[in-house]
Amino acid sequence: MTHNDYKEMIPAHALSALDAAEDRVLKEHLAGCEECRHELDDWLTTTAGLALDAPPLEPSAHVRQQILAQVHEIKVEVAPSKVLPFVAPKKSVWSSFGSLGAIAAALLFVGLIVYVVLLWRENRAIRLQVESVVAENNRIKQDLEFKNQWTQLSSAPGSKMSELNATPMAPGATAKLAFDKTGHAMLMTRGLPKAPEGKQYQLWFIVGNEKMPGKTFSPDAGGSGMLMDQVPSSAMDSAVFAITLEPTGGVKAPTGQIYLVSRS
Amino acid sequence: MQPEEAQITDVELLKAIVREDETALAELYDRYRVILFGLLVRILNSREEAEDILQEVFLQVWRRAADFDENRGRVFTWLVTLARSRGIDRLRSLAARERVAQAGAREAGEEVSDAVADAFRSEQRGLITSALAQLPDEQKRALMLAYFDGLTQSEIAAKLDAPLGTVKTRMRSGLSKLRELLGNKSASFGF
Repeated sequence: MTHNDYKEMIPAHALSALDAAEDRVLKEHLAGCEECRHELDDWLTTTAGLALDAPPLEPSAHVRQQILAQVHEIKVEVAPSKVLPFVAPKKSVWSSFGSLGAIAAALLFVGLIVYVVLLWRENRAIRLQVESVVAENNRIKQDLEFKNQWTQLSSAPGSKMSELNATPMAPGATAKLAFDKTGHAMLMTRGLPKAPEGKQYQLWFIVGNEKMPGKTFSPDAGGSGMLMDQVPSSAMDSAVFAITLEPTGGVKAPTGQIYLVSRS
Repeated sequence: MQPEEAQITDVELLKAIVREDETALAELYDRYRVILFGLLVRILNSREEAEDILQEVFLQVWRRAADFDENRGRVFTWLVTLARSRGIDRLRSLAARERVAQAGAREAGEEVSDAVADAFRSEQRGLITSALAQLPDEQKRALMLAYFDGLTQSEIAAKLDAPLGTVKTRMRSGLSKLRELLGNKSASFGF
């Protein structure tokens, strides 16, 4: 996908109107593209104006009270504790035991430090585990969302399904492409080898000698890939679909080997 | 006669919130509550849900005021984006679109006081209403379905029984036209 493709998606993103897979792809791009982030800020300024089309309404008075009460609670929770000033102890008969007490206190202190370090390491390990579980959970949610959309699309009246078969470049790989009567298409792949550094798989719509470029994607470690695209109108009735390996971001005409292809 | 006290800007209020000034948060709430609540009721079609989200939004403002970057946009844009984003998330999680789609089912809102209504009925609203009136109906419809009903482009295409590509074009053209119509005026009106 080219930089301009991403830029074209930004207005829809500002309206939260991209489909989940497109939204995910654009967010990845935004994270590394300052120009597009500026573009998004501009569009958000425009979309924010639409809020004024909603009639102004007065919320209940208790909302303000609840917000301020909760904010006050947060402040109290994070406020520093009031520490009593340290007062030097007066010398007494017990001062002869002072040096022993100091040694014991130092040992206790070292023990506490070790304990805190162990706790911190354990905490960090748990936090990493939690982050990993959250990431996995998000991935599963995205997969589920994509599969739900797949089910809706493939069962919509007038939708078509095409199977793509592996070439010797990817023995055992499979893919299915479904698209509805508006050309909205979804692709699911299985068993594709991992794309090398600097490469991505790209979808193609082939009608006769014309090869029209689709979007690019990178399968996960298990070879599963998902993609949403738009079938060109000229390819709606009699196209061959193919997947090639191309430079990251895609190309306008295929340069790489075909890994999967549908029957003509 | 005492000279009129200069009003604290929105950005100054956010800076005071970063310093944990509760009165600054209260002032910001007073400035934007009716517009944000109106937006949330329009999205969620429920006063109760909208009040819940409004509360979450201002707690988020309290915690994340330091994230606001005045070089990236205005406080109004930031607040509306926060509120709408949370509102749409809630709408989608409640799967409440059916309720929203039911014609005439909108919950009646509590009237706002005349003074507040006047403030928001003034030039700002006039500007956006006039700009929207200049958009072709199909472009305006696509924008409204996305902005207030939280529908994605594919969902809008299905709802309007129109090709996805057509819907994408309508949305992009509509928003571009809106940006052109609002132009520099938007900055002077604070959005």
